Amino acid sequence: MLNNQNTLVRNYNRMLRGTPTVTFDYLIRQLPTATAFINKKFEVEFVSDKWIKDFDFEKTQVIGQSIYALFEEISEEWELVLKKCLKGEKSDKGIHRHFDNDKNEHWFEWQNIPWYDEKENIIGVILQTEDITNRVTLELRAEKLATLLDTQSEVTDVGSWEYDVERNSLHWCDTTKKLHDVVSSYEPNIDTAINFYKEGYSRNTIAMAVDRAIQFKEPWEEKCQLITAKGREITVIAKGKPIFKEDKFIGLVGVFRDITPSIMSEEKTKQQERHFSTIFNSSYQFTGILDTQGTFLEINKTALKFSGLKSSDVVNKKFWDAYWWPIPDMVKDGLKEIIKAAAQGETMRSEIVVLDKDKNPIPVDFSLIPVYDENNQVVSLLAEGRMIKEMFEARKKLKISEQKFRALYELSPTSYILSDFETGEILDFNTAFEETTGYNKDHIGSLKVQDILVTVSKTQLLRIKKEIESNNAFGPEEQQYIRKDGTKFPVLVSGSLVGNKKGRKLLWSTAQDISESKLKEIQLKEEQTLLRTLIDNLPLNVFIKDLDSRKILVNKAELDYMGFKDQSEVLGKTDFDLYDKDVAEISRAEDVKVMKSGKPMLGVETINIKKDGTITTFLTSKIPLRGDKGNVKGLIGISLDISDLKRKEEELHDLINVTSHQNKKLINFAHIVSHNLRSHTANFSMLLDFLVSETDAEEKNRIIKMLMEASDNLLETLENLNEVVAISTKINLDKKSINLSEKINTVEQNLIAFLKNSNALVINDVDEDIEVKAVPSYVESILMNFITNGIKYKDPMRKPVIHLSAETKGDYTVLSIKDNGLGIDLEEHGDKLFGMYKTFHENPDARGIGLYITKNQIEAMNGKITVESKVGKGTIFKIYFNEKN
Amino acid sequence: MKKIKSICIIDDDPITVFGIKKMLNSFDLADEIKTYVNGKEAIDEISQMLEQNIPVPEVIFLDINMPIMDGWQFLEKFLTLNIESKIRINIVTSSIDPFDRQQWEHFKSKTHHLIEFKNKPIRKNDILEITKAA
Repeated sequence: MLNNQNTLVRNYNRMLRGTPTVTFDYLIRQLPTATAFINKKFEVEFVSDKWIKDFDFEKTQVIGQSIYALFEEISEEWELVLKKCLKGEKSDKGIHRHFDNDKNEHWFEWQNIPWYDEKENIIGVILQTEDITNRVTLELRAEKLATLLDTQSEVTDVGSWEYDVERNSLHWCDTTKKLHDVVSSYEPNIDTAINFYKEGYSRNTIAMAVDRAIQFKEPWEEKCQLITAKGREITVIAKGKPIFKEDKFIGLVGVFRDITPSIMSEEKTKQQERHFSTIFNSSYQFTGILDTQGTFLEINKTALKFSGLKSSDVVNKKFWDAYWWPIPDMVKDGLKEIIKAAAQGETMRSEIVVLDKDKNPIPVDFSLIPVYDENNQVVSLLAEGRMIKEMFEARKKLKISEQKFRALYELSPTSYILSDFETGEILDFNTAFEETTGYNKDHIGSLKVQDILVTVSKTQLLRIKKEIESNNAFGPEEQQYIRKDGTKFPVLVSGSLVGNKKGRKLLWSTAQDISESKLKEIQLKEEQTLLRTLIDNLPLNVFIKDLDSRKILVNKAELDYMGFKDQSEVLGKTDFDLYDKDVAEISRAEDVKVMKSGKPMLGVETINIKKDGTITTFLTSKIPLRGDKGNVKGLIGISLDISDLKRKEEELHDLINVTSHQNKKLINFAHIVSHNLRSHTANFSMLLDFLVSETDAEEKNRIIKMLMEASDNLLETLENLNEVVAISTKINLDKKSINLSEKINTVEQNLIAFLKNSNALVINDVDEDIEVKAVPSYVESILMNFITNGIKYKDPMRKPVIHLSAETKGDYTVLSIKDNGLGIDLEEHGDKLFGMYKTFHENPDARGIGLYITKNQIEAMNGKITVESKVGKGTIFKIYFNEKN
Repeated sequence: MKKIKSICIIDDDPITVFGIKKMLNSFDLADEIKTYVNGKEAIDEISQMLEQNIPVPEVIFLDINMPIMDGWQFLEKFLTLNIESKIRINIVTSSIDPFDRQQWEHFKSKTHHLIEFKNKPIRKNDILEITKAA
């Protein structure tokens, strides 16, 4: 600015050259800067009005005056400056303090420069000054403030700072530095300072606040977080404001207050306050807190609700000014007295009446209690009002319920008796008692418990007494009462001991006439017994199972079947505990099906196997057992042991099988007979036909020979048939015990010649002890047949060997006869092997009758025969002798 | 009537074989009469004839009850042989077992050959009827 002015002045100088003095003077006077032109003698030649104004020379003739005269004294420094100027050396800027006529302090910034004429000769000095009083004082003030803040901050932990725009300098006081965890030599600048604010909300808030401060001159106060140089996060209240000079923004000042620790305690206090206010406000009492002068500090919601007021209507007002006092003028003084007393530590309590929001008088139990601080000084008063209206209501309710009780007492079908516990004197009873015993209220006073109670056993009495003493109650206990007419009836009695005001022990007893229920109980018992007897004597197994198929009831038949004596041995057990696992699984599956579907399983044939392997066939029904609500809760099982029936059925079945088998055999036999006889008769018929028409004698002879052959064949056939019929028709066979081994030896002896001729070997490996029940002649015939067969159909390449052995298999003794003969193709001939007149080898001796007869003989003895054979290897016949029947 | 080239009799009863043969000869019905005592002998030879392209018998008299291989077993095997011409097979039996008639019906339905069922005895009057080429 000054530099610009210098340029301006220089321009003036140029302009001044050749300009009339008057005009020059006029121009200088109007200069906006305080300027004075002095000549070499330091006399003022020209001066601006501003200079005159600034130095307060309005009343002084300045032109022509020496500055020595004008300024009274001139510092040596200035003189030196002026002299230098005359030598062409302009001065530096300086500051000068000046007191005006009114002793007001003024500050000037000044500069002196040489005054040249048009020939560049120095003709004097130009004095230029600028009044910087405002600026200086401002700076001083800021300095002062800073000092002040510094002092203050030491006490209150408040840190301060200032920012000078002109100089772009930021200053932090020591506390601020401490707050930022920086050393005291730290020099902040505007950028580093802002970076201490926590990134995000805090930094943005501050940036915006500063921006607004500069734009709208608004101060700020924000709660922010700072991250100190040590990385510590602290919470501060940051206050600040902008400084303007003549609308020009020149800087900012501000303070920090560290509130980090207080925030925590604040939280705690807040919580306590919350707790307190919850209790305070949710209490059913009217509660208010007064100061010792009787001014409301707080009032709870209950009281506000009751009175229909807002907190602001009451708080800060006097207690006695509240509207709820019915006759304010009368109570006011009294209330003041009370508060005074309470403030001195007295507690006051009394029943009073207040008005609710509808002006209804409400009785209240009012109390005023002093509240002490830690120094035992009364600091406030706690005013409480307890509505007694509710108590009134309760009393009313009690009366109603008492009436109700009275009605119940009188109408109850149960007898109530009030008696003296010690003496037994009856003091009161209800209508039910009168009705059941025949006594009435007139008897009260003369009647004792002993009179109505059938003397119970001493031990029972003792027990009841003991029970009362320890529990103050007894029962329910079955006793007998005596009516007025002397008859007795059973009652269920319970009682409890009550004390009356005089300390007399009274006994309240209830007695329920159970004659009827007793009767029912007996009936029920009888029915139960009947039912039990019934199911126990049923020729059926009856059981009840629960949902898990556990037996919960079994009758005697079932118990006997399972082999137990007492029901308790079985209850809770499942079929898995009692029977074979496989049948238990089947049974469980049936149970589940019945209980799930709710449909009964009726008359199903089931087989049960006990753990010991005994098999029993039952005809079983399982019926779902339903509870009160119709839900299935188990099942009832009824089973009938049909093992005998089953056995008989099987026997019958066997018998039918045997019969039909016999029948088949008979038909077969009939066919054989007819076939065999017919074939012979047909031959006769044919041959006779030929004979009749035959003329050739030789041919005739041949035919006759054939006829004779046919006749022989017929005879043989008849004999065979006779033999078969004899076997098949013999019903009562004369079976004897035969030693098998011995019998084999006998047959071997009989065949000795035949065996020798065939060079055959018979090996008898049958155990000497084995005996069979058989018809001796049949056994001989059978042995003979098989041994000779084995040799007849021998393999021509091998020496025939017949091997006999025996073993016992169940009901049979099995005789095996093994040969090493030709063998039979069983695939081809198996079905015909034992047929009549069936032969399988090209053996001229084969008649096709041996095996047929053998089979018939074996079957006649209830035995059977099987065959195994391999062509080229041999055959094994197995004869089963039935040892059972 | 055309004379039949070859007739065969399968029967284990020599009297029956003698009778049938005698009746056939009296009418001079065939050039050649072969006899077999059971089914096995017959089937073995007929199979051989087929192999050697010798014409097989045009009429067969077949007994049922025979040792080793009976009439039904023979038929079972015979029907599997590849014989294009229609052969007449006369079952000649003294059986009145309904089973045997069922068997006859069964085989009859299975083949292109002609199968007849006759009960013994065969009379002269019958022989002409049943000894035509099928």
